[in-house]
Amino acid sequence: MAGNSESSCFLRTSVGRKWVVALSGLFLIGFVVVHMAGNLQMFSPTADAINRYAHLLKASAPLLWAFRLALLTATAAHIWAALSLARENRAAKPLNYAVAGRKSRLHVTLASVTMVISGTVILAFVVFHLLHFTAQVVDRSYATMETMVDGKTVHDVHRMVVSGFSRPLISGFYLLAMGLLFFHLRHGAASLCQTLGIRDRKLAKAIDAGSWILAVVLFLGFSSIPLAVLLGVWKT
Amino acid sequence: MKLHLKIWRQPGRDHPGHFVTYELDGLNPDMSFLEMLDVLNDRLTREGKEPVAFEHDCREGICGSCAMAINGEPHGPNEGATSCQVYLRSFRDGETLTIEPWRARAFPVLKDLVTDRSAFDRIMQAGGFITVNTGQAPDANAIPIGKEVAEQAFDAAHCIGCGACVAACRNGSAMLFVAAKVSHLGLLPQGQPERKERVLRMVEAMDAAGFGNCSNQYACEAVCPKEISADWIARMNRDYAGAVVKKL
Repeated sequence: MAGNSESSCFLRTSVGRKWVVALSGLFLIGFVVVHMAGNLQMFSPTADAINRYAHLLKASAPLLWAFRLALLTATAAHIWAALSLARENRAAKPLNYAVAGRKSRLHVTLASVTMVISGTVILAFVVFHLLHFTAQVVDRSYATMETMVDGKTVHDVHRMVVSGFSRPLISGFYLLAMGLLFFHLRHGAASLCQTLGIRDRKLAKAIDAGSWILAVVLFLGFSSIPLAVLLGVWKT
Repeated sequence: MKLHLKIWRQPGRDHPGHFVTYELDGLNPDMSFLEMLDVLNDRLTREGKEPVAFEHDCREGICGSCAMAINGEPHGPNEGATSCQVYLRSFRDGETLTIEPWRARAFPVLKDLVTDRSAFDRIMQAGGFITVNTGQAPDANAIPIGKEVAEQAFDAAHCIGCGACVAACRNGSAMLFVAAKVSHLGLLPQGQPERKERVLRMVEAMDAAGFGNCSNQYACEAVCPKEISADWIARMNRDYAGAVVKKL
């Protein structure tokens, strides 16, 4: 048996592109977990903790941009591979059954059938989130917020976050996106284990429970900050 | 008992199909599903009408011919059973049953409930074999195989290639079938020399046939009459990546 090198090219095959979705997804999950852990420093007794951390993240411009480039590449790869697979999936099932069959038996879950929708809204949110807190173009006053930490003048991230989330519309969109991230990861985290080949009878329960816990922890962790702002935990 | 049957009728591959409703009365609840279709076809033939085309062969749940979806579920409502092993006692008296062919682009309808499943044959021709010299049958137990491996390989080899996995999948994906075939041979010592090429070639043939891609919902596993586990798909994904890395 001799493989045809052109058509068996990894990125063109179904399984190859599933690996791309899974590996990029794993990297992005790693990022959101670290991001959430960093965010939770908002709850530190003083604002210095998160401001010091935010300053540290930007300590090396080349490193920062290398990481941003990696994130952008992973996101682009994730979207490209997932959409190309989804397009084929629709084409492979031109006509469905007149009677749908029992959802419980056919394992039709809301999370699993809305991956493209949840992913699209999350992408829209990420773009807005970057414009809001990273590029700071939604509110120009963020750029002028400064504070002193360890004798240095640094950007006052704490104040920016409290100011940003005190607008109910922005907090609402954030919470909606985190809700959809919950759904996306509920199915996605367990799926990536299957694609990466780590699932068997013994591990199945742990993987399903683990992806549920991961999705819940991320949802609660991220949502706690806008909710705390809306509940007036910090004074503006 | 009485049943209303809503059956997909399609005269040929490139003809449009539609549902036709039939009513059958005086059915015995212990009749098999296919016997009920026989009764219907007997009546249609005597009325000078075209009988419903459906595939069947062994009628004992091991050949995989009797491909049809009953109320949107491939092989009907029973767990681990083919359509021929479904009995009318599984339904309520007076119930309406919708009977359709497998729905997937890679399995085009040939007539009524009969689909062209030769895409599976093409996948098997691509790698579902081992290369051995012909001649006398080899000695039994010439190659020792551990009990656990033998049983695992046998679990995967249970696949009868009926196509219910593809039919149940929202994406018309054949990954459960291909995974079972790849794993069955890949687990045994006889399958090792071609293991890497096999998975690459079978995935390639699967993609070429126009099947969709697994999105990890496992409807395939739920309807499989031989209860093939979706865990085999994980093993195929692992095997595939291993084969690609090895090739680099």
